[in-house]
Amino acid sequence: MAHCCGDALMTNARRFMIAAALAATCSLPACSESLRVFAASSLTEPFTELGRRFSRAHPGNTVAFNFAGSQVLRTQIEQGAPADVFASADLDHMQALRSKHMVRGAVLFAQNSLTVVTPASEAKVKSLSDLARPGVRLVLAGENVPAGRYADQVLRSMDDSGRFGRDFRSRVMANVVSRELNVRSVLSKVTLGEADAAFVYVTDAATVRPRVKSIVIPARFNVIATYPVAVVAESRHKALATEFIRLLRGPEGRRILLRHGFRLPNPHGQSR
Amino acid sequence: MGNRAKSTRHWDHGEGWVLGLASMGIIAFLAVPIAALLLSFFTNSGLSHLHSEMAVRALWLTMRTTLISTALCVILGTPMAYLLARKRFPGKGILDTLVDLPVVVPPVVAGVALLLAFGRRGLIGRHLEAVGIEIGFTTVAVIMAQVFIASPFFIRAARAGFEGVDRELERAAYTLGAGRWRTFWVVTVPLAGPSLTGGLVLAWARALSEFGATMMFAGNFPGRTQTLTLAVMTAMESDLDTAVAVSVLSLALAVATLVTAKAFLGRWEGPHG
Repeated sequence: MAHCCGDALMTNARRFMIAAALAATCSLPACSESLRVFAASSLTEPFTELGRRFSRAHPGNTVAFNFAGSQVLRTQIEQGAPADVFASADLDHMQALRSKHMVRGAVLFAQNSLTVVTPASEAKVKSLSDLARPGVRLVLAGENVPAGRYADQVLRSMDDSGRFGRDFRSRVMANVVSRELNVRSVLSKVTLGEADAAFVYVTDAATVRPRVKSIVIPARFNVIATYPVAVVAESRHKALATEFIRLLRGPEGRRILLRHGFRLPNPHGQSR
Repeated sequence: MGNRAKSTRHWDHGEGWVLGLASMGIIAFLAVPIAALLLSFFTNSGLSHLHSEMAVRALWLTMRTTLISTALCVILGTPMAYLLARKRFPGKGILDTLVDLPVVVPPVVAGVALLLAFGRRGLIGRHLEAVGIEIGFTTVAVIMAQVFIASPFFIRAARAGFEGVDRELERAAYTLGAGRWRTFWVVTVPLAGPSLTGGLVLAWARALSEFGATMMFAGNFPGRTQTLTLAVMTAMESDLDTAVAVSVLSLALAVATLVTAKAFLGRWEGPHG
């Protein structure tokens, strides 16, 4: 900047003024030149990183993210929210939009699994069977939040195995003190030490180590959480949206996902 | 319009019309969303959705918690309001600001503050937990969030009420041999009555609409901490019709409280504004 001649400085200043004026006139997530990506809250870190890469690769285009529970995003899209890309943490919410022709060409791009987290300092819960102990405060995601549905599935298969004593699932459910609206709220209740345990994704737990401890859920009880992504049918930036999905599924996107602890689906995964 | 301003200007009809037209924008802006909500309610047989278990449980919980929290606002707020109305003391300005603070603090921030005070690791919460008292995720947490957010509404109205009481009448009561306590109950409270009731209703309305602090501090569990507002938020994601029905229920409660509050606070257009 310092070596700039007056003219360039002027143009820069003017450009800045125009940008500021534009920024002031367009509401935050709804800028004309920005791609709007609605993504499950568990995708916060990898997608934020990917967004930065995308902006660098496509100068002049920014990515605005809306991270929330997949069920919230689905409702917002159903209600006509301006979205270009939808990335869900389960197949159901994507399927619901597909059946209404609100998204196009959903593809799978990541997998995840669940874990139980406890506060690192004082763990009332040391094993999976402790979840059923009276007085334990357990937090789950809501019944329509993918993370909540997956947790219900895990508890059911633990119950069916018969290895955790009678009525394991109902004893655990009796300890539930809150059903949060997205998995990150679930996580924060444990990070703050307000809850004794919670079901979150393996990748969520990794974001707050060492403040939480994880209890591994063995594969035979665990679920494979599957993440589909699609272009929203009403999108005004379909080409750009397709570009974003290409980046996500390309080598760079895969690297970022793996680094954040996600697993990759088998190649050419088409969702149901 | 009962405009009793001292200005000698008198609005003629023409100007009234111009002002009316100029106000149309905001009137439409306020009315259309409400109309949309009601329209959605009636076109989707909203009444049937009010019987859903979620709506019923949320309504009962909301009634229970708001009644208790409003009562607490009155019990804890009345001495405070009287103090602010009648006494001058150092630090009054600070106290005044403190009492008004919850009105301007975002509720979600109030939730964080409550968590840091009464949560398991909070300043006070950690000592409570040591003796086996846990507040987070309980109905008590809901009530605390409501008191925190709603109490200023009562205190402000009550203070104005106490300030408006004619001190001569109180002195007359003393002269007639009534003690302080009796004077307070027989003279001061009845005279400040409309303000007290108005404040009570406003505080109740604010408690009814509490969302952010509750979500943060009490969590979301049907029958225990899921109030009407949290039920709307939860239902929005799965069952829009129930969300609309519960919204209309909340709207009806809000309108009822507003009408009541205005009646008591005497804000009807008339010679007693």
